[in-house]
Amino acid sequence: MLSVRIAARFLRTSPVQSALIVAGIAVGIATQVFVGSLITSLQANLVDTTIGSSPHITVKAREDGEPVVLSERVRSVMIADERVEPGAVAPVRTASALFTDGESSAPLSLTGGRLVDLDRIYDLSGRTQAGTPGLGAGEIIIGVDFARKYGLSPGDSVSLVFAGAGATPARVTAVVDLGSAAANERTAFIDSDLLRRISGWSADEHSAIQAQVREPFDAATVAAEWRAALPDVLISDWQAENADLLTALQSQSASSYMIQVFVLVAVALGIASTLAISAVQKTRQIGILKAMGLSDRRSGAIFLWQAAILGVGGTAGGVGLGYALIWGFSLVPVPFSIVPEPRFIALSSAIGVLVALLSSVIPTRKTSRLDPIEVIQSG
Amino acid sequence: MADRLLIAEELHRVYGSGETSTRALNGVSFEFGEGEFAAIIGQSGSGKSTLLNLLGLLDTPTSGTVRYRDRDTGSLSTRARAELRNGLIGFVFQFHHLLPEFTVFENVAMPALISGALPPGEIRRRAEEALGLLGLADVDAKNANALSGGQKQRVAIARALMNRPALVLADEPTGNLDTTNTELVYELFRKVRSETGTAFLIVTHDRKVAQRTDRILEVLDGELVSDERNRYLD
Repeated sequence: MLSVRIAARFLRTSPVQSALIVAGIAVGIATQVFVGSLITSLQANLVDTTIGSSPHITVKAREDGEPVVLSERVRSVMIADERVEPGAVAPVRTASALFTDGESSAPLSLTGGRLVDLDRIYDLSGRTQAGTPGLGAGEIIIGVDFARKYGLSPGDSVSLVFAGAGATPARVTAVVDLGSAAANERTAFIDSDLLRRISGWSADEHSAIQAQVREPFDAATVAAEWRAALPDVLISDWQAENADLLTALQSQSASSYMIQVFVLVAVALGIASTLAISAVQKTRQIGILKAMGLSDRRSGAIFLWQAAILGVGGTAGGVGLGYALIWGFSLVPVPFSIVPEPRFIALSSAIGVLVALLSSVIPTRKTSRLDPIEVIQSG
Repeated sequence: MADRLLIAEELHRVYGSGETSTRALNGVSFEFGEGEFAAIIGQSGSGKSTLLNLLGLLDTPTSGTVRYRDRDTGSLSTRARAELRNGLIGFVFQFHHLLPEFTVFENVAMPALISGALPPGEIRRRAEEALGLLGLADVDAKNANALSGGQKQRVAIARALMNRPALVLADEPTGNLDTTNTELVYELFRKVRSETGTAFLIVTHDRKVAQRTDRILEVLDGELVSDERNRYLD
């Protein structure tokens, strides 16, 4: 591979020029890797905070306050759907109650269901800060801020007042961190049977049936299909309810893509200008090589190989630098960490090398068209 | 005459077009044999370098043909012309045109590296042989830029011989050398010619230099005005 050998020699004999362009590519790719990973991780964190531990799709009765029945038809549509996280279909009963400890009182939003079902949606076991979660008869799981505010811990008893039902005691089994201050202060999970008795509903009647899908962004599509299959119930999805968040995420993605595209354009212009200068600097050598019989194709390939060497070197350096930046970011106290996505980094690397190769098009064509007589005659 | 190596037939070369055109060569024809040792002489601007470039397949004639071993080169592709240049012709330019990024050894080996026809061991052997023949064995690892003018020109000659060409075309090869080095270069040409049978066609403006060859072709205003055996050698 004479073209590779010549390309490498040309680069080696201009070490400063070569090092500068490799550094330029490396900085561009590092920015690409860092910004891309940062935005992806930030968005994943935002999505996880918003919906990671809450239902993606909720099925309710059409009339407000009426129960939805977990019929065979509903079961077959929801549970049989392969896009649903296995086991993540939870029939729940919800109610509002007033907590009172004799001195003060606070409203609580209660969700009742089987622990095994609720765990798939809310990950109560994984979020437990104290105690052992349990939702047996008369048991309640409370949020960490609520517990702190009222000095409650597992084993304590709380008194809940339901409209038209008087005070009902419940025993705290666990304190959980639900990921947001509002939820941690206002939300609690309770024995479902207790809520059923208060509402007077039958065993198969629920306030809602909640589900989580494997890919959160499939929720709207899945919900639309379920609406067609189950016209008698009301089906809502997190995407419809969080349109503002989605718009923000999309805007963030768009700005991230813009930054990445402009960085790549800057990298491409940098390589192209360096190679163009190199092609002019090496015109005489290329003319001599052509006079000795080097073909147009192989002459052009010299600059293609230069671009490839610079591109691969710069990209490798850029990925290393990108990882170093991500590591540096991990030392900064922020509520989320950047998780480098190997597929994204592989794609960034491929784009980096491709941009380098594309940048060599002009010098490659110019070189392959060079007539050796121009050089030989000019001495 | 020895076996025919080259035939130039009615070579014309016009640069530009219309009123601003320049006629550099005007119907030059001659034959050249295998192993001949000849010079093309002429004043500056007479068209001798243009003729050499046409014979070296670096340039294409406006009309006329250049045949090598009865093969018409006019219809050849750019690639085929490059291959023919690489295998059949060795060039020695006035300004030696070495590659400053490469060592003396690499410069000499370059035509064989371009051809890709020889194994590395054979390339090394041939390059060392050419360097030895030209007294450059001790400078093979040096950068081409680190040599004196005379040494550079000898490297260029070694490079021209690397692929054992049938013909070496040399354009003012001693134009930048002193008398001693000029003498040395022509002795080398003769030595190589007698040892390898390579033909030499040397362009020079200096009749004294041309008289060191066996045949002198004189170009004047783009025309071949004389073609004679060198009587001074007799």
